[in-house]
Amino acid sequence: MLAVPWLKVKGDTDVSEANGPKKRKMSLEKRHNLTGWAFLTPATLMIAIMSFWPMIQAFILSLQVGKANKLSFGGLTNYLRMFKDKVFMTSLGNTFLYLIIQVPIMLVLALMLAQMLNNKDLRCKGLFRTAIFLPCATSLVSYAIIFRSLFGVDGFINSVLVNLGILDKGYNFLGNAFSAKVVIIIALVWRWTGYNMVFYLAGLQNIEYSVYEAAKIDGASPMQTFFKITVPLLKPTILMTAIMSTNGTLQLFDESVNLTKGGPGQTTLTMSHYIYDTVFKFVPTFGYASAMSFLIFIIVAVLAFVQMKVGDKRD
Amino acid sequence: MTKTKRTRVLMYIVLTIVSLISVFPLYWMLMAATNKSVDVSRGKMLPGTAFLDNIKALFEQQDVQLAMLNSFKFSVILTLCALVICSLAGYGFEIYHDKKKDFVFSILLLGMMVPFVATMIPLFRMFTAVNLQNTTLGFILPTISTPFLIMMFRQNARAFPIDIIEAARIDGLNEVQIFFRMFVPTMRSTYAAAMTITFMNAWNSYLWPKVIMQGENSLTMPMLVANLTEGYVTDYGVLMLAVLLCSLPTIIIFFLLQKSFAEGITGAVK
Amino acid sequence: MKKKILAALLCVAMSATMLTGCGGGNNGGDANTDANQDAAGDEATGEDAAPEEAPAPEETEGEDAPAPEETEGEDAEGGDAAGGGSLTVWCWDPAFNIYAMEEAGKVYQADNPDFKLDVVETPWDDIQTKLTTAATSGDFSTLPDIFLMQDNAFQKNVISYPEAFLDLTDSGIDFSQFAEAKTAYSVVEGKNYGVPFDNGAAVACYRTDVLEEAGFSIDDFTDITWDEYIEKGKVVLEKTGKPLLSCQAGESDVIMMMMQSCGASLFDDNGDPAMVGNETLVKVMETYKALVEAGVLIEVNDWDQYVATLTNETVAGTINGCWIMASIQSAEDQSGKWGLTNMPSLVGVEGATNYSNNGGSSWCITSNCQNPDLAKDFLAKTFAGSVPFYETILPASAAIATYLPAGDSDVYAEPAEFYGGDAVFQKIVEFAGKTPSNNTGVYYYEARNYIATAMQNVINNGTSIEDEVKAAQEQVEFTMQE
Repeated sequence: MLAVPWLKVKGDTDVSEANGPKKRKMSLEKRHNLTGWAFLTPATLMIAIMSFWPMIQAFILSLQVGKANKLSFGGLTNYLRMFKDKVFMTSLGNTFLYLIIQVPIMLVLALMLAQMLNNKDLRCKGLFRTAIFLPCATSLVSYAIIFRSLFGVDGFINSVLVNLGILDKGYNFLGNAFSAKVVIIIALVWRWTGYNMVFYLAGLQNIEYSVYEAAKIDGASPMQTFFKITVPLLKPTILMTAIMSTNGTLQLFDESVNLTKGGPGQTTLTMSHYIYDTVFKFVPTFGYASAMSFLIFIIVAVLAFVQMKVGDKRD
Repeated sequence: MTKTKRTRVLMYIVLTIVSLISVFPLYWMLMAATNKSVDVSRGKMLPGTAFLDNIKALFEQQDVQLAMLNSFKFSVILTLCALVICSLAGYGFEIYHDKKKDFVFSILLLGMMVPFVATMIPLFRMFTAVNLQNTTLGFILPTISTPFLIMMFRQNARAFPIDIIEAARIDGLNEVQIFFRMFVPTMRSTYAAAMTITFMNAWNSYLWPKVIMQGENSLTMPMLVANLTEGYVTDYGVLMLAVLLCSLPTIIIFFLLQKSFAEGITGAVK
Repeated sequence: MKKKILAALLCVAMSATMLTGCGGGNNGGDANTDANQDAAGDEATGEDAAPEEAPAPEETEGEDAPAPEETEGEDAEGGDAAGGGSLTVWCWDPAFNIYAMEEAGKVYQADNPDFKLDVVETPWDDIQTKLTTAATSGDFSTLPDIFLMQDNAFQKNVISYPEAFLDLTDSGIDFSQFAEAKTAYSVVEGKNYGVPFDNGAAVACYRTDVLEEAGFSIDDFTDITWDEYIEKGKVVLEKTGKPLLSCQAGESDVIMMMMQSCGASLFDDNGDPAMVGNETLVKVMETYKALVEAGVLIEVNDWDQYVATLTNETVAGTINGCWIMASIQSAEDQSGKWGLTNMPSLVGVEGATNYSNNGGSSWCITSNCQNPDLAKDFLAKTFAGSVPFYETILPASAAIATYLPAGDSDVYAEPAEFYGGDAVFQKIVEFAGKTPSNNTGVYYYEARNYIATAMQNVINNGTSIEDEVKAAQEQVEFTMQE
């Protein structure tokens, strides 16, 4: 096989070199255009080798049926199969629920926090920022243990609720389909808000502070400033976080595996968790797992396309 | 004036509450690391006396030094390579944008949309075919260029004023010089944020390293933590100490870099 | 201008190339195919070619690694076993199976001074991931010589990837020396693929002080039925406020133990699901439901909380594989307050016993092993042939053997302070001998998974057992379709 990655990188340089002499007489614009291509080629090639090539192979696999290594061509069998799979359909529904509820809450929260922390006069900004970023730096192992114990029957949350007189006795949050989903959403918001805040904070640096000061002098309320200045100017970043979160949520795996194990029953199971099980826990069915992965791919791609259409306009 | 004051007090209250909620697990980890396993599972949340014992046990059971070194080596190399490759691309996609490049970019985005479980096995096959198992390159190559990072630089480059480039061109700087001398310093905040996130992802990566690296010499911190949870008996005190050690580098890097990406160089751009 | 861009790109390319070089040097077991190929044919080089052990001498060889044109020698581990005697082993618990394996290495080294053993700590989930990935890619070079496999996964893996394992039937290992129910896990189509290791014999542990408070002794819980267990459990609950048993919601350990105690399975002999119309299964689920309704059994959400119910004295006992004793014993302050006996039996089911099994593991040899004779001989002389070896590992690791001759050893008759001076190890070996064997079937994990879901639905939503079992069987059948 010739897919030696670093050779490709070199090879790419060679190609541009070969094109070199021709460019002598090019117009400035054309030359800039080619510079642009040269800049983005290494990264593009790497993605082509590391992502697209395996994806093509996975797609070929998705057309094959059978267990373990005993595979045979099955056409679209796997794609039809998943619509008859009750467990997969449940996981599809669960994942969409997480997407629709969690992503907007998280992004709005992250934006507001970033806005507050961008305030020049605020003290202890560094501490606040680091504190809010902490959850996503916390290793998954401890995060899962902590959340499970917090929401346990005699966990912290329950003892607070009982002491406040809201509940008579401890409630098993993770034992009920509805509350388990709520816990997963809370956990996701908790873990990823700080992460998204980072992008907004970085993006806000590109907005001149004097714009805010001018707005303040004009008597704009914080709300007005937020919606009239911050949001429009941060649009490229918001678009990026929206696509990333959509992608991340539709491929959600960690929380389902570590917090609830998909339970009770299959009520919190996500698609990625189910795919993982079909490959590594159950008797492996790679074709089927690949087909399900490609459904996720199609869904994410469509959503991202819509988001790009709506949000990726240069003014 | 009173209204502004009230808003400010409110802001401090909100931030303090959010921070406390966010910091709680770290506190819990810290306390757990100082307690005996039994006390941790009994829900003790106050400092204990077993901290030194836990340290001793952890270092006896696991090669912490090796794991730390490996994790640092892999994460630093990966972060640096990824930043160079992806920022170049992001810059290229945005500054020289045209229809074709926008199209290529949207195609690239597709690369992150298939769950890794599906592409892992073909990728593994590819890597073993060229004998990259057990190499640093094998560890870093799959994530050295990510659509996400390219996108981050592309989106942020949108705020980079094009007049600066024009002016620099008139001054006789070539395109590469413009990138390194104008873009890189100006976008320090983006680089700092990208560095934090990339380092964190590299540091925490688990599934791929586990598959492509074999042997005890390639132990990383997340693997070390996983080792501690797998026995028939989990020592929660030791585990939490390891988790704490595993989380600290990212937190420190964030703390060091947050100033540069959140209070960057406002005003310097325009 | 162009040139500078090229220079920059070249820099990137070069630094990437350089990385291969340093990767090679630092990691030892890398792409230095030449070295390993030589080693494969040459005994002398083979000895120090164990990649993990000797990173330094390989550094020089690593320099020419960036050009791995020779794809033949994919085998980075190849050098390992080709030499005079070194084996790489994967297993996961330092206090338990890693310790046992290292001791076995020492025992074998006594007779074979050149022998080298390299134990790499690898969690079971990761072993499974690596096995699946390697086997699917058809490249076994990343597998070790020997690894430890969960008994429950044995059938699935061997039937899915027969080419990944060595047939040990004629290896000289005497399998008749192991408890039959245990060996059955690693026998596929009449061939032995595994050397049994730890015992998962089901034990029922009780807090004798709590039982006393309720007016019972451990004898009142020995050789009883589940009906009696529930009745007595209610009394204990009433008098002490403690349930007798806790278990993880959504896991089917208790259900599967009950099933195996009657020799029942979720599959028939052809490997087809046999859940619908399985009277034993219905009885088991009814019993489980009755346990929950009586409050004698409390469900918790995860393993950590389960262990916490034991150490926090929330419950008065537990029923699990004997390996749970290590977790119980972590609460040192409860020493002497525990007692151990057999589990309850089902009522009105044919072949019901008071003995069962949960978990346990066996060693297997991979087809990547370059020196199979050494690996076989090593296992035959240690795990399948040395009573003194088992005597060494028992006190320190409580690794209870399924190797029957070891059970007669005096070490097993030692009284255990923690369990009120009872000779618990002897008891467990005796339990193991009486355990009915269990047909896990290839689709064991699927069936377990969906039966657990069925049970949860019955408990949470009050649906009928028959309907839920039917739904579970349908989902398992669906999964089994090609």
